[in-house]
Order: sequence, then C-alpha cells, then structure tokens
Amino acid sequence: MKKAMKGNISLITGSVMVAITFSLLILSFIWTPHDPLEVTPDDSFAGISSKHFLGADKLGRDILSQIIVGSRVTLLVAALAVTIAMTLGVSAGITIAVASRKLQAPMVYAVNIALAFPAALLAIILAAVYGASTLTAVSAIGLATAAAVAQVTRRTAYGILASDYVLAAHACGASTWRIIRKHVMPNLRASLLIQASAVVSVSVLAESSLSYLGLGTPPPAPSWGRMLAGSQQYIFVNPLLAIWPGIAIVIVVLGFNLVGDGVREVFDPTLRRSDS
Amino acid sequence: MNQPLLEAINLSRTYKLAKGSAGKGKAFRHALVEMNLSINTGDRIGIVGESGSGKTTLVRLLLGLDTPTSGSVEFKGQTLISGKMPWLRKDVQIVFQDPRSSLDPRMKISEIIREPLVCLGIDEDHDARIDEVLDSVGLERAMRDRYPHELSGGQRQRVAIARALAPRPGVLIADEPVSALDVLVRDQILELIAQLTDKLGLTLILVSHDLSVIARLCNRVIVMKDGAVVESGNTREVFDRPAHEFTRALIGAIPRLPESL
Amino acid sequence: MSLLEVNNLTIAFGDKKVVDSISFTLEKGSRIGLIGESGSGKSMTSLAIMGLLPDTATVSGSITFEGQELIGLSDREHSHLRGNRMGMVFQEPLTALNPLMRIGKQIAGPLMIHKGASLKDALGSALELCTKVGLPDPDRVLRAYPHQLSGGQRQRIGLAIALACEPALLIADEPTTALDVTVQREVLNLINTLVDQEGSSLVFVTHDLPVVSIMTENIAVMQLGQIVENATVASLFQAPKHEYSQRLINAARVAEDAFSGTGGIK
Repeated sequence: MKKAMKGNISLITGSVMVAITFSLLILSFIWTPHDPLEVTPDDSFAGISSKHFLGADKLGRDILSQIIVGSRVTLLVAALAVTIAMTLGVSAGITIAVASRKLQAPMVYAVNIALAFPAALLAIILAAVYGASTLTAVSAIGLATAAAVAQVTRRTAYGILASDYVLAAHACGASTWRIIRKHVMPNLRASLLIQASAVVSVSVLAESSLSYLGLGTPPPAPSWGRMLAGSQQYIFVNPLLAIWPGIAIVIVVLGFNLVGDGVREVFDPTLRRSDS
Repeated sequence: MNQPLLEAINLSRTYKLAKGSAGKGKAFRHALVEMNLSINTGDRIGIVGESGSGKTTLVRLLLGLDTPTSGSVEFKGQTLISGKMPWLRKDVQIVFQDPRSSLDPRMKISEIIREPLVCLGIDEDHDARIDEVLDSVGLERAMRDRYPHELSGGQRQRVAIARALAPRPGVLIADEPVSALDVLVRDQILELIAQLTDKLGLTLILVSHDLSVIARLCNRVIVMKDGAVVESGNTREVFDRPAHEFTRALIGAIPRLPESL
Repeated sequence: MSLLEVNNLTIAFGDKKVVDSISFTLEKGSRIGLIGESGSGKSMTSLAIMGLLPDTATVSGSITFEGQELIGLSDREHSHLRGNRMGMVFQEPLTALNPLMRIGKQIAGPLMIHKGASLKDALGSALELCTKVGLPDPDRVLRAYPHQLSGGQRQRIGLAIALACEPALLIADEPTTALDVTVQREVLNLINTLVDQEGSSLVFVTHDLPVVSIMTENIAVMQLGQIVENATVASLFQAPKHEYSQRLINAARVAEDAFSGTGGIK
C-alpha cells in the first residue's frame, strides 16, 4: 500500500515537473514575452516587473524569454545524450555479458578505461577539433556516460544470465539472441529506466557545466548553463540571475529522476502484486 | 542388446576454482569422475546424493547444458555437443527444483509454455497445445494470462512441468522437483509426475536427496557420492539391503515416525 | 511459573494477520515443536519471542519469559535477553554468521556483551564450546572465517553461539533444513544432547513432521497463523484431532511407507 502510494507520488510529481519543461519547449516555438536576444540597455538588471516577469540581465535581455528558449538546448541535450549513452552502453554491456570468458576480460578493461576518462577532457578534445557546440558537448556526455551504463548493464545482465529461468530457456532450445530479447531485456527494463533517468539528469547538469566552461552551446543562443555562468560575476548585484536558471535545472533533473523512480515501480509486476 | 536411450560414457567434469585459499597454484574440484550410466527407454531411474555429490552436474551434462571435461553423453547413439541441439531438446526435457526461479517473472504463463514450442519449431497449433498441457497438469486454462508470482508454489511447479511436456518429450528429467515445495503440495506434485510418466510412457530421471521420493517413483536407483556412483540397482533391493556403507548411512539418518496404529 | 507463556499472541502486517491469537506455555526444561507450512506463522512466532520482528509488524497479546513481559519491551531491553537468556539457531548458518569476522570472535561476542568477559577469557570459553558442539580441531575453527567451513560445521557454530551464555531457552528455526540428510541427523542429535545437558527449554520450528517428532515431546500444529492442535507427540500420532494434522501425518506416513516398501505409487 505505502509503496504504491510512494511510487505514485514520485511519478505524479516527476511527471508534473517534466511536463513543465516540455511546455516551455512547446511555448518557445509559439510565443515568448520578448525576443530573448533583444538588447535593451535601459532595462539592464531590471528587477521583477510587469515588463520582465523574471527580470532582465546586464544587457537588458528578458530572463523569462531566455529560460523558455533555453529549454530547447536542455531537452535536446537530454534526448541525444540518453540515446547515445543507452544505445552504446546497453549493447556493450549485453555483448560483454554473453561473450565467452576469454573475450570478457579485455572488454571489461576497455569499459573501465572509458569509465576513467573524464567527460570534460573528452569535451575539450572534441571542442578543439570541431569547435565548441551543443553537439560536441552532447557527444562527450553521451560517450562518457555510456561506459557507466555498460558497466551497470553488464552486471545486471550477468545476474539474469545466471538465473534458473535462463538455464530453463537453454533447455528449451532458445538461442542466445532469443534469450537476450525475451529474458534479458525485459528483466533489465527496471534497471535501464533508472539508468536512463540518471543519464538525463547527469547530461543536463553536464551540459550546464560545459556551457559554463565555454565548451557547450556557443553564444548567443540561450542555454540554462550559460545563463548560470553569465550570472556568476553579478551574483551579489543581482542574485535572481543565478536563481532562475538554477531552478529550471533543478526542476528538469529532479523531474526525470522522480519519473524514473515511479515508472520502475509501476513496471515491476512483482511489486505490483505485493501492493495489493 | 539394444542401444541405450541415454548413455554417459566415462563422463568427468572438473571445475577450476579461483585461487585456492590454502596453498598456491590452481585448485580443481572434481564434480564428476569417470561416470558411466546407461538409461533405457521406459526406465524410471532415481539419482540420490547429498550436496556436492555431482548429481546436478550430471543433470546438466545429460541435458547438454554443460560441456564435459572428458568423456561423453550419447542420446540415441548421437554424441551431445554444445549448442542448441533441437534433436535432443525435443526429446529430453527438465523440471528444475525451484519454480520461483525457473520461471521468468516477466513472462505470462502462456509465454512460458510457448517457449519450447517456438524454439524447437514444433509444428502444431501452439495455443491448442498450451491448453492441452495446462489440462494435463491440472491447471485451469484461465491461468494462461497470469504471471508466475500470482500462482502458488505448487501451481508454479505445475507450469514448469507443463513447459517440459509441451514439446512431447520421451525423457523427463526432474531435478529435486519437490524439495522447494510445502509438505502437502509435495504429494500432489509427485502424484502428478507419477501419473504423467505412466500416461505418456515417459522415461524418468529423478534427482533427489529424499529417498522416499525416489522410492515412490523409481524402479532403479543410483547412489552418488563425491562425483562417483557408490551403489546402483533395483530401488527396493538397494533400500532394503544396502550394500555400501554410505547408502546405509543415508538410510539410517532418516528420522522415523513414532509407531502407532 | 512457566518459563515461557504465550497468550493470545497476534502479529499483523497492515490488515494481514500472520499470527492469529495463539497461546501455549513451555515449562522449564521442556520442549515444544511448532510445525506448519510456509505462511503458517511459525517463524514469526519465534521471531516475536526473540524480539526480532520487523518494525512494520503490529503485535498484541502477551509473551512472558521468566516472569517478564516481552511485548512492549524496547529493543535495548530485549537485547539483554537475546543471546543471553534466550538463544536462537537459524535455518541458514551462512547468512546468520558475519562473513568478515573470524569464528572465534563471533562465539566470544555474546560472552563479552552479556557476561562482561574479557576477549581472552571469552576465546577460552569459545574453544570449550567448539569442543562441546563436536567440532574437530577447534583451534583451527576459531581462526577460520564462515565460508571456510562446511554447512554442518557452520550450524554447529550457530549452536555454539546460541548456547554460549547457557540460555534458559533455545529457539531452533528450521535448523537442519539447509543441511544434507546425514549431517541433519548429526546436528539433530547434537541439539538433543546439548539441550538435555544444559537443562534448557527448546522451541523447535520446522515444516518436517518426522524431524520434530524425534526432537520434542509436544507439538503445536500451526496453519494460517493459528495453532490448530497442541498435543503430545504420542497422542498426536495416535489420534490427531484436527483434519490438518491428519493430513500432515498422512503425508509423512505415505513417504515412510513408500520408503520401507509397504506402500507408494509403484
């Protein structure tokens, strides 16, 4: 009983938070209070007013408009990073788990090396070669988190492969491919959902930090991370500049985490039973 | 003399252990040592042993789920190799000890029973066959859409039996089929296995640590210890007049009920 | 005064009663077997006596042990009794022992906690206990870690820990279910001897009727949280009153008859 309630509460709260982010995304294509890039020197550091609901930055650009448009970068980053990390990580993890023992050791080493490689360094290299952009940041984040996903996937898959029901499937004449599809994947699902939501959070935060370091989305396109970076020098003059993008980041990160948590409990048939 | 149905020839299986806690070098565990066993069509053979006796290793080798270190297993004269071996699996099926772990928690009962039918390419109406085996193990057809955790332990073991029987095997291996079940359910499952063995004319290989289970279902018994056979023969003769010291110890260890009428 | 008096004990998780107002008493030096299938509430009963029920359980009724009411006792107060006045042997000795601690310290633990013994003295007593529970080469055993011992040896250690402080009550919860048949018999005999020697009382929890019938003089048959019959072994086997006891006895008889060749399917 309690568990189900808890699952539902996190699912509901999380969904609301994710929905807010997505509404911002849709809104950004329809309407913004101002042009987010419109410079109005008169409004420099404007406070909350009917003209600027959330105030304006040093150049007098409307914060709310920037936040709305910034959601594009954030969600694009999240979507791409999750796609890259999950595709690479899950296929690598499962491949290692089903590989013969001799092949396993070198593959595990490779993953460990990838795991030890700092994402920031990768981002610097990619930015140096291709020029800093949202795409280089995303690729760096995706590749770096893929190793972690592969590691967790491998361990979980290994446990599943050692289970009696997989042995029973072998005894039924199931091929390795069928076992992956019918037994490993469905039983991995809960763990994958948690990982995916973690990757979303990590990538949103990482994009913010990379943009902050100038390794992500280049100016002038608004990004929550760069807004945060830009506010740094005025933190005592106008703390609101840091607070608004901060809140936006917290909402999206927390939202996806809560959804991951809630969905996991809904998806697990054994948890469902014990609730009733 | 006819060729045996299933035969183990000088079968050995040695496991390499992780570096031994005592001493250096590689440590080995000899799970099965030069075992010979032949099973004929219609046999009901019981394999008795304690943990570490090699009975589970033997079962896995007989099913081709593991590769022997030396020696071989032959089914109808054909040597088992690793791999899918549909020719073997259509005819030799297994029921594992604990149905809580041997049924995939994410699959519906119908999908579980369908698995061997699909994997072995059984050429008949799968849905009709699923209903048929559910009937024969005494489960309602409505169970099809349930998940394993919604069933009781006994019902789950019935599902495992249904899955094993779905491809119409000639040989059924049951590895401790009742030891994970409640006492009163054990009887029902043993009764079911006995009845199906009779009705379908199965060759039965029953692994158990419980001598009474073997006594109820098997006409031949093999007593194993430390990866080797210590005694074998007609069940009644072995249990009534055990020749080997270990068999006597096994029999002597069984707690007896108080006499009464 | 009886050693242990259980009165209308009810244990529930939420709306679900796992033990439903059961009562029994145990005199000093006597033994009772709790038998039942999974879900009968037998293990919950023993955990309630030991004060080891999870926090989510609601308990009502009364358990008095040596004149002291156990229900409502704080965990701290209960821990003065656990391992001291009452000891427990668990089903799976491997999980009941700390994998990272040498056996010697694990046996010495309760002596140091409850009797205020020094480590040196406690280890000395541990050595004696090892000999008492029939472990060969006790010096080596005391230095070993749990994984280096066999299942039977581990269960002997479990027994040594439970008996270290000479408890008035020993609770054995399926102590031999995880063991091989031959080892089971040895451990059962050992429990028999030691409980006699120490003059302890015994609560023996099991699903196995033949086992309990050689261990205790009284048997309480549990089904779905209730004691459906509480009788001496002899009268239970001669004239079981409840239909469920009858079924359990029949099942055991069928098995025994099959084995001795007077019955069975084939």
